Parts: sequence; structure tokens; C-alpha cells
Amino acid sequence: MDRYQKIRNEIIKKYNCLVDDKKKFAESINIPLKQSFRINTLKEKKETVIAKLKEYDSKITNVRWSDNAYITKLNNLGSSLEHFVGHIYIQELTSMIPPLIVKDLIKDINIIDCCAAPGSKTTQIAAMMDNKGHIIANDARHARLKSLRGNLDRLGVTNTSVTLRDFKSFPNTKADLYFVDAPCSSEGTIRKKNSVARIWKEKDYLRFNKLQKQLLSKACEMAPSGSTVVYSTCTFSPDENEKVVSEILNEYDMKMKHIKIENLKSEPGITQWNNEEYHSGVEKCMRIWPHHNDTDAFFIARMEKC
Amino acid sequence: MLKKLEKEKKELVKKYCSERFGMSPKIWERYSWHSGSKNKIYISNNLELERINPESKGICIFRLDKSPKPTTNFLQLFGKYISKNYIEINNKNTIKYCKGEDLTLNNKSIIPGFVLITNNKRFLGCGHWNGKLLKNQLPKSKFCNINFL
Repeated sequence: MDRYQKIRNEIIKKYNCLVDDKKKFAESINIPLKQSFRINTLKEKKETVIAKLKEYDSKITNVRWSDNAYITKLNNLGSSLEHFVGHIYIQELTSMIPPLIVKDLIKDINIIDCCAAPGSKTTQIAAMMDNKGHIIANDARHARLKSLRGNLDRLGVTNTSVTLRDFKSFPNTKADLYFVDAPCSSEGTIRKKNSVARIWKEKDYLRFNKLQKQLLSKACEMAPSGSTVVYSTCTFSPDENEKVVSEILNEYDMKMKHIKIENLKSEPGITQWNNEEYHSGVEKCMRIWPHHNDTDAFFIARMEKC
Repeated sequence: MLKKLEKEKKELVKKYCSERFGMSPKIWERYSWHSGSKNKIYISNNLELERINPESKGICIFRLDKSPKPTTNFLQLFGKYISKNYIEINNKNTIKYCKGEDLTLNNKSIIPGFVLITNNKRFLGCGHWNGKLLKNQLPKSKFCNINFL
């Protein structure tokens, strides 16, 4: 058995107790994901781009839960002219969810994307804002800014400033909306080839939990009353998800908001894990399981500063 | 660090865009202009940041060396406003262009200088036309093999 199969088996064993259908969950983990993408409406109309892309793959399909999320059987759309000219952005379906849960807020407003590289969400938000308003796209690592900058340029984003800061020490900055797509164990991306490097140990989860809590705390501290904070990860681990949100709800004056995306199957956050009880508010979080929508796994929470 | 762009340089770029590409001055109304290192000119929405010194704002549209040089990012984004000095190339040449190659074309009507390269209504980027040869102006970071077009 290869190393990656061992990791997959370990993940199935660990999280089986949380899923509604153990068999389907285990099956889905072993099926590679199809390539997904969205159209960059800052540069071209959806219909025009899709008509052209259908010349390469006539079976391109629009997912049921977003009007701008597509799946293709091709695995090299990155070598299409549409990608070169910035008409499309190749992005995991679950990664498109955070901007969609705050669709009601995204217009001419100020947004801070705390961990922005490589820019998938930033460019998606910029397109939803039609390049209006203002986004601060921050990342802590210089090496990651190149890909962020490259994607902003390719997609023609003009409403974004790029900052290079450890968000934990970011100057207090008022915004209407904060995205904290925190670094995580990435277990939820297991369907992507060789994406999870090893089996994580307890101390790794604790390390991620600490960092995630620091980042989310910073966003909650600087958020003005009435503003919104969106927290997301691409992992199954409750230690990096509900536990982080629960600790924040216990410490900060934040109110959980209900999340719903039509036609996207999801489950509420769990309130208990490893003999630990979480704040009841975490039930309003959203868990996406791989076997429900044929995607990666994802976790997301929407909070409002009181 | 980005600074506010001097008015003369801003007017120089606007005049160049109008004369070379037939672009209406109206398209600039919503942008603020900045200058960065290596004579680069950036445009962005009117973004004022307190206490934060960003690495970049908006996109780089020109380099002002001896004369104004448009960037590929600029031409891809604003191509729809360009009414003259663009060159349409076929699929074979598009593949070559994206690889970073120069192209030999027979195009007498274009005035030598920087041009927008297009393929089937898609704005590919910048080239420099000298009357015989189209010199590729793509940055190396954008060179790629195109399999679908």
C-alpha cells in the first residue's frame, strides 16, 4: 500500500464517526476530483467564455449551487488561451464558498483578506464587486506574494492593495468584511493528488489551532461593530474548526450567523469532539463533506461583531 | 514604495493612449495613479490606506523609460477600448506568441510602435511592430504552451 493510500485510510478511520454515510464517505475519498474553474467576469461575459470552452470540452457543466462554478473532464485547462488571457480561474469548488456565503454584503465595501495568497478568493471577490470598493489582500510569506500578484494581474483586478504582513501584528484597520482562510492541516484536500503530505499528530493539530485562533482573534479584535468575519479551513479536524470558533465565541463579542447556499448539501458544525464540549453557536457553522457534493471537504463560519 | 504620480506623467500616458490606441480619456476617470520602482506606473481604484504601506496597488499599466511602454496586463484588460494599432494573429502565430517568440508578419497598415495583439476577439498582450517584425513583449513569467485555443 502506498504512503498516500495509508493517509487516506487514516483519514477515513478518523472521521468516519462524524459522517452520515460511512461507505459513501470512504468511496469519495478515493476518487480524484475533477478540475473546476470559474469565469472571470471582470474581463469577459460568462456566455462568451463558456461557448469557447465548449469547443474544448462539450461536457463542461455548471454546478447546481453556483452560477459561476464549472466542472470539466479536462485536467489541463491551464494551457488554454482563456486561462492565458485571464478569462478563467482554476479553483477548487469548495474554495469558492466563502465569498458566496456573504454575497448579500459584497458590493462597494472595504474587505480584508487576511491570508490571501494565491488569490483565489481575492480575485473572486473582486469580480463579484466588479472591481469597485477596496480589498486589502494580505499574506505573511513573501514567496507566496508572487502567485498572488500574478493572479491579480492576469485577472485584471484593480481594486486591491497587496500587503506583506504577519496578520497577527497587522495594524488595526477598519473594514466591513474580513476573510480568515487560515493555514490548516488541509486534510480536506485529500482527493487532490498527493496533497496531504503526512498523517498529522495531535501536536500538529494543536499548533494549527493556536495559529488559527491567533489569526481569527486579530480579525475579531480589529473588526468594528456590525462588521462580518468569515472563518474557513479545508480540513475535517474539529480542533481546527469548531474548537477555534468556540473559543472565539467564548472570548469575543461575536454573533454567529446562519449560512445557507441553495442546492449545496451541508451539515452543521459539531458540538462535541474528543470528550470536549463546544459553544452551542458552532452549530451555525457549515461543514461540507466530500461525498455530499463531490467536492473537497470544507468548513466555514460567518460571525458578526456585536 | 508607491508614490502619487506627477500630473505631467499622467497626462503623457493619457495622451499616448489616445493617440496610439484611440482610447477615450473617459476610461481613466475612476482610477488613481501611482508610480513605483523602475519607472512603473500603476492604476487602482481610489484607495487610501492609513498606516499601511502596501507592496502594490491595482495593476501596473505602463513603464516610462525613453517613451511610454504599455504592459501586457494593461492591454489585456483595456483591449476592448482600443480602436487602432492592434494586430490580429492566427492560431499558429498565437501559439508562437504565447511561447515568447517574435513573429514575421505582412502588415503594412500599422504604424511602427507598440501594438495590441489579438486572436479571435481575445486580447493577448503587447508586441512591438517595426514594419517587418513583431517583437514579442510578453514578460518571461507569462510564456506558456497553449494546447487549447
